[in-house]
Amino acid sequence: MMDRPMDAAATLALQGVARPKWLLRTLGVLLAAGGLGMLLLAVHAAGAADSLLSALVLLAPGWGSLAQAVSALAKATHPGPPLVLALPWRWLLAGGLAWGVGWVLLAFSVQGAKALDETPSAAAKAPLYPALAAWRDFSPGTFAAYAVAILGAEVVLVLLQTWLASGARGLGVAPSSAFVLSLLAATLVAFAGGALGASRARRLASPEATIAVLYLGTPLPLLLTLLPAFPRLTLWVGYRLREVTYLAELLGRPEFAYWLTFTVLVLALALGILSGFVAGGSGTLDLRAGFELFVATRHVQVFRPRLLLGALLVLLLGIVPPLLVLAVLRAADAAVERTRIRALGLKDPMLAAAAHRAWVEKAQSATAMMTALSVGGVGVGVMALVIVLSVMSGFEGDLQSKILGTNAHVVVLKYSDNGAMPEYAEVVKKVQGLRGVVGVTPFIFGQVMIASEGNVDGTIIKGIDPATVGQVTDLPKNVLPGGSIEWLDTPAKIPARRPLHADAASDDDVVHTKGGGEEPVLPGILLGRELAASLRVLVGDRVTAISPLGGGMSPSGPIPRSRTFRVAGIFYTGMYEYDSKFAYLSLSEAASFLDVKGATGVEMKVADVDDARRIAGTVLQALDGYPYRTKDWGEMNRNLFSALRLEKLVMGIILTIIVIVAAGLIVATVTMLVLEKRKEISVLKALGVPDSGVVKIFLAEGLQIGVAGGLLGLLSGLAWCLFIEKVGLRLDPQVYYIHNLPVKVEPLQTALVVVIAVLVSYLASVFPALRASRVEPVEGLKAE
Amino acid sequence: MALVEIRDIFKSYWLHGKRIDVLSGVSLDIERGELVSLVGASGTGKSTFLHVLGTLDAPVAGSLRFDGRSVFDLSDAEVARFRNRSIGFVFQSHFLLPEFTALENVAMPALVQRVERTEALLQARTLLERVGLGARLEHRPGELSGGEAQRVALARALVLRPALLLADEPTGNLDPATGEGIHQLLREVNRDLGITMVVVTHNEALARSMPRRLRLQAEKVLPA
Repeated sequence: MMDRPMDAAATLALQGVARPKWLLRTLGVLLAAGGLGMLLLAVHAAGAADSLLSALVLLAPGWGSLAQAVSALAKATHPGPPLVLALPWRWLLAGGLAWGVGWVLLAFSVQGAKALDETPSAAAKAPLYPALAAWRDFSPGTFAAYAVAILGAEVVLVLLQTWLASGARGLGVAPSSAFVLSLLAATLVAFAGGALGASRARRLASPEATIAVLYLGTPLPLLLTLLPAFPRLTLWVGYRLREVTYLAELLGRPEFAYWLTFTVLVLALALGILSGFVAGGSGTLDLRAGFELFVATRHVQVFRPRLLLGALLVLLLGIVPPLLVLAVLRAADAAVERTRIRALGLKDPMLAAAAHRAWVEKAQSATAMMTALSVGGVGVGVMALVIVLSVMSGFEGDLQSKILGTNAHVVVLKYSDNGAMPEYAEVVKKVQGLRGVVGVTPFIFGQVMIASEGNVDGTIIKGIDPATVGQVTDLPKNVLPGGSIEWLDTPAKIPARRPLHADAASDDDVVHTKGGGEEPVLPGILLGRELAASLRVLVGDRVTAISPLGGGMSPSGPIPRSRTFRVAGIFYTGMYEYDSKFAYLSLSEAASFLDVKGATGVEMKVADVDDARRIAGTVLQALDGYPYRTKDWGEMNRNLFSALRLEKLVMGIILTIIVIVAAGLIVATVTMLVLEKRKEISVLKALGVPDSGVVKIFLAEGLQIGVAGGLLGLLSGLAWCLFIEKVGLRLDPQVYYIHNLPVKVEPLQTALVVVIAVLVSYLASVFPALRASRVEPVEGLKAE
Repeated sequence: MALVEIRDIFKSYWLHGKRIDVLSGVSLDIERGELVSLVGASGTGKSTFLHVLGTLDAPVAGSLRFDGRSVFDLSDAEVARFRNRSIGFVFQSHFLLPEFTALENVAMPALVQRVERTEALLQARTLLERVGLGARLEHRPGELSGGEAQRVALARALVLRPALLLADEPTGNLDPATGEGIHQLLREVNRDLGITMVVVTHNEALARSMPRRLRLQAEKVLPA
């Protein structure tokens, strides 16, 4: 009786009302879009399109794009001398006008409730149903809660980060840990505000949330994004925000970091709103979920050993092999079962019918299959994320350890004529006692040509103090057996090697033990493995280094200076770049050969690598600043590491798309469950389950899928990581710097992946769960 | 004071944009412990009336007082709690939850009320034994006959001892003999537990056997 089939007349009547509204809407959208296009064109004409577009991608329409356009214009106008004339005013004006008119039309299309024209019914005097009487369109209190949530979270993040990380008046926590702490606090603020607002309003209040996020949430990230574009702004607030901008700039693309953080906060707000609505949206705060879980578990039945095992096998071995095995097993099962049933039937037809019935009933339902698919989907996403992020972490960690094994953490240099620092001993003494400094050693830096009998190569030559260099770098550990770093100071001990043709087939390839005493004593040099290989020299062989400068002047220009060394050892860092480019001399040899007084500088190792920047600052303070300057390792290798970090982040985001696709599967699965269980939902409501209880049931179903998929993905991801680590994948060292694919499972990062997957599943089931809660009990309770 | 006071209830449907009035200003009192039958032609809105009475459906206008409390003024959650505690439903179909055993189905209202699981199952077991299904506790609804399922549904409606039991053609799908068993059970429940009952029925004999008889006619509820 209550079905609502739309007959043609009714459809037409409804459309008659709606048509002008839709016309207005379409027109408004077209105009606004066209206006925006014209504005963009104007920006393009002003020559600021690239900076605008890169940021625009990250922004939703609203005043974000407007502000961005303005910023781009400011950027464009600032350096150019003819300031105003270059602007395409006509496009700007027309675009702005069209944009504004479009929005006005859209606003008009929203208004227009139908006038009441019916004569009063018999019910005119009766009291209105109270729930209808309580309907309200906008709740200022909730809006305030959301606004405080998003803006407060941002402010908390910035203030806390500044306070925790700044060395002078704050706590001096390492910037990355400070960020984790502040982000945690900020998400809590966003979550709490959202929960409070939603439970107050007893609805999701999405208009309030949208307005709060767009108009109060975006300004701060916008400000941060625009900081570099406005020099005056930078002067005004830039230094106050330095702790925030410093961290973001480590990523190479700071605005990326700002908007990602903003997205995280918005997600936290959304989660808070949902949780507030579910927990307290219907008047009472009720976090218990006893029967809801009971019902949900029966509905989805995720934690069946068969499903879990099957999904795990698919994740570990790929889709095809387990499915093939399954198909073979199924077919075998079916054949056996058919034979059995026929045998039974020959004895007693009734037995065969019963057995056949039982066999048919074993078939799985469509929702069960969807559930398995969703679990698998989430699992695949989590697995991919765990593996890829672990490999990238391994790569980064490997690179970092190799770079830090060869390079110092902090370097002190001096502004002087030829970069020399004759008083290096005093500097070493001053720096040695500082807190956080573990080791100090002087060094000389130069570039020379190096030649052997077989080949010539360009190298970076470094003078070191063999006694103290071990405090700062891993060089002594990296010298391969057969050579020794001490021989740099005692060159007489280096076993000299006879020319190859004299006694070719001797006992050892690397070290020729029967060294001849008739060779002159030459100063020692350490070569990288790849360099030694390309020069075709071994320990004890002679090489000649040629410095382009330092040999004095002649009528035809500077004379190169050359000197012969004996290979005292060969080192291997594992980093192709270093093994093929570096050579080490003793400090005094390097000083005389490169004509440097004393040393080029002093390098040091610090206790906490992540704290190198701060320690570099204290070192500079201890040296009273100018003419000294310091560089930390992050600064020296900034391009490499920010590229790595950005790459990792982008990979993470791209792979999260797999999880989001899986979330789509969850939406479909839970929606199907809701449709399938309409009758049960109605019955549950008749039994007194509140709306929030129904929401909880279906949220729990999505969550169970997410948890199962997340755990399976984690398990298989870790298994794959272990496999890669134990078995190893070879890489071309000339391309990747390293020989083996490194894996480093970072617990925090891995846990974060699983948590994100579960949260995404939770979010995915929100929409179907809300739909379930809106099922009218009478709909499902109609007599069949 | 009557258990249920219904005042000026209006209820209409819109079908293809046309209004269909179902209830126009229904007012009625139901006393504590009464056993009421409601008859009427098909499509007159007996079920709708029962749903409004049971807070499953919202009326256009009107008021409903239960034990002196205005039910329509409660929030959604409070209405749900009220429905859970004070009202039991029996429908034409049993509407048991297919994934759960008979025992769990009967225990469900208690579980919704956050009664301890073992405690709820114990209550459900006693009640199922009382309606004569002590041997069918672990059976799923699909494995029960129509009469048995309806007894389970009745047990589920009674497990929290509601003040009011609303039955919507509880024997409409059953053969006369099985139906008579359910009728007997309903009368027993009313007599022994003192539960107020409104039974919508097409069965004239059953209607006549009830102490108070109502008829829904021309959008009004009148004594029959």
